[in-house]
Amino acid sequence: MRTALTSPVAYALFVLPTILLYGLFFLWPMLSSSFYAFTDWNGLEDYRFVGFDNFLRALRDERFHTAIVNNLAFIGFSVFVQIPLIVLMAMLISSVARLQRFYKTAVFVPSILSTSVIGILWGFLYEPEMGAINRLLGFFGIEPIYWLADPDWALLAVLITNAWQWMGFYIVLILAAILAVPRHLHEAAAIDGAGGLRRALSITLPLIRPVISVVVLLSIAGAMRVVDIVLVMTKGGPVGATEVMASYLVNKALGVDPNYGFGTAISLIIFAFALLLTSLYQLVFGHNRDEGIEYA
Amino acid sequence: MRKRLYAALALLLAFAVAAAACGTGNSAGTNGGQEPARADSQTGGSNAAASEPAAKAEPFTVSLRHIQIGEAQKFRKAILDDVVRKTEEEIPGLTFELDGVEDEVNRFTKLPAEMAAGNPPKIFDLFGGAGDALKYAKAGRLLDVTPIIEELGIKDKFLNLSQFTLDGKVYGLPIGGSTEGFFYNKVLFEQLGIKEPETWEELEQAAETLKQNGITPFAMGSKAAWVPLMMVNTLIGRYAGPEAIDGFSAGTHKWNDPEVVAAFAKYEEWVKKGYFTKGELGLEYAEMLNQFLMGKAGMMFDGSWRSSVFKDPEQAGELTGKVGFFAMPPVPGGKGDQTFVNGNYSNGYGFSADLNERELMADKAFIKNMYNEEMQLRGLLEDGVLPSMKLSDDALAKVEDPLVKKVMQIMSNAGGAFSHFDSTVPSDVYRETEAEIQKLISGMTTPQAMGDALQAVQDAANARE
Repeated sequence: MRTALTSPVAYALFVLPTILLYGLFFLWPMLSSSFYAFTDWNGLEDYRFVGFDNFLRALRDERFHTAIVNNLAFIGFSVFVQIPLIVLMAMLISSVARLQRFYKTAVFVPSILSTSVIGILWGFLYEPEMGAINRLLGFFGIEPIYWLADPDWALLAVLITNAWQWMGFYIVLILAAILAVPRHLHEAAAIDGAGGLRRALSITLPLIRPVISVVVLLSIAGAMRVVDIVLVMTKGGPVGATEVMASYLVNKALGVDPNYGFGTAISLIIFAFALLLTSLYQLVFGHNRDEGIEYA
Repeated sequence: MRKRLYAALALLLAFAVAAAACGTGNSAGTNGGQEPARADSQTGGSNAAASEPAAKAEPFTVSLRHIQIGEAQKFRKAILDDVVRKTEEEIPGLTFELDGVEDEVNRFTKLPAEMAAGNPPKIFDLFGGAGDALKYAKAGRLLDVTPIIEELGIKDKFLNLSQFTLDGKVYGLPIGGSTEGFFYNKVLFEQLGIKEPETWEELEQAAETLKQNGITPFAMGSKAAWVPLMMVNTLIGRYAGPEAIDGFSAGTHKWNDPEVVAAFAKYEEWVKKGYFTKGELGLEYAEMLNQFLMGKAGMMFDGSWRSSVFKDPEQAGELTGKVGFFAMPPVPGGKGDQTFVNGNYSNGYGFSADLNERELMADKAFIKNMYNEEMQLRGLLEDGVLPSMKLSDDALAKVEDPLVKKVMQIMSNAGGAFSHFDSTVPSDVYRETEAEIQKLISGMTTPQAMGDALQAVQDAANARE
């Protein structure tokens, strides 16, 4: 047994099946379909080679620019609004003595609901005339806001819904990390006279940093591929105001005048973006891995 | 001992994983569920060819995609159900597998994807025109029904097959005809002392009066862009003349001709005056009807197919029988014959080209039972859908619903009919019209810029042809 493991042939034998499967079901389909990105294939008729036309067309399309900006908005919102809120909520829940389980379950519930359900539920809340949100705002004398119909508000409405859906999941992740922080550290700090805020900032926060960094990475990845909530709530409308890259892909590749060639080109662009962003993140924050406690 | 326990656990885990993998495999396969079914029916077909009598009772299914879902479509669904029942009785062993899908999803998402993959249902709801039936026909996906309708002797009965005809062959059959115009709330009009508009001034005056009284003049739901495009289409027919609708692809008319831009400008003017439902870009087609039924809007531009709703107390409530219909009045300075109305014979059924003998028999029986005077008359009387086939005067005289009568009167008094540009322009141009109209509604473009943008795509499409 021991000698077998030192032989490279044995290694190859063990790894080969996986590599074959990976190649057959992942690499080959991906590479072979990438070919269509250079055609104008619409699924029905014969295709022509169009070179880099599809890529140029996408990069020149204003609507795709909006989609990229909106993807960045999703990333920005989740990193700069959601995550501070998530950490805050997790800290609050962790220090609650009674009903902690109830709070944990309550915040987690949205993430087990299907996105379609959430989209439709929030559609009711955002309804301009009878929706709860506008009725509440109306109570303070605010004119009704046409949340999902007004290009100025629609993106925010979708961002809030998306945040509501996913925050619970991350809160539970962070909560687990907070609860794993050794109690004696807190006790020692308390004896030294550190108050609650001081302990949160100087003990809890540094110790859960690795988990936060994982959550950030997951949020970025999630924001890059967000599409379902957009399709359910607005289909990318009104007038492209909530279009993200993936919904742009769906709307262009399918629907009126389907164009699979163009769709493939967009998906390659999205792939490049995701690769760029994650490697950027790894470069900047990757060194975190060597420090602290490994939770993930 | 412990080692053995671990081994047993590991084995159990391996089984569980394998079982789970099988499970996902199955559920992923539901989409392709038609594959084995088709293989079955194909072997059934060869059996039938070999030994007719023995195979006759052998059950087989034919998939049928329809769009008759929801309350407003219930009359049409009842007709379809009867046709399905009758056809199943006539063909031994036949079962139709009905698949109801919402119109827009079917037309713009599901059917195109199925057409691309080559696995459309055997019978399906289909729209005529360059972007739908003719495109699929060119790709060889549609059954040429010319021999069937010739055999049944109904080929000459159809009023208009142009949107389904390619090189003299018919690739689909329209179920009815329609015109698009204004429905109006008679109660509101009476209260405010407005009479049914006959001229352009009267129409705009009516809109203004409604607006002054806090009522939306035109109900609108433009989340799906084809809804506002109905009115845009007729505005183009008025301002630029009925020939313009066919002229864009023929090259005789341009989207940025001043007359066409004038149509966009009128639409923009009405948007700016607040004549349409507020927040329309977030409202679906069905919500437009609700706005109108709740009395929040005085008028609604929609197809004549909507008329059956207004005779059904369950849907129309207090408005039952209190809704009128009129065609868009002539516009001052409009080009061409101003008595033309929009007329469509575009929605109907298409049939998959990929079928065996028994399925062909089912198709034939379906066509025989669906496209005949009886069903056409039922469609007209129960559903208010204008017939797509010639009916005898006696049959037509049975119409009692005042709305349907009015629609028929408008059609017969019209100088002619122009179709909807969604069936005359290529789909990339149509897609652009959808994007541009929503921009116009939200104030992100101007009528001239809209016309220029559309013409650019049309030019590219015309050069390609």
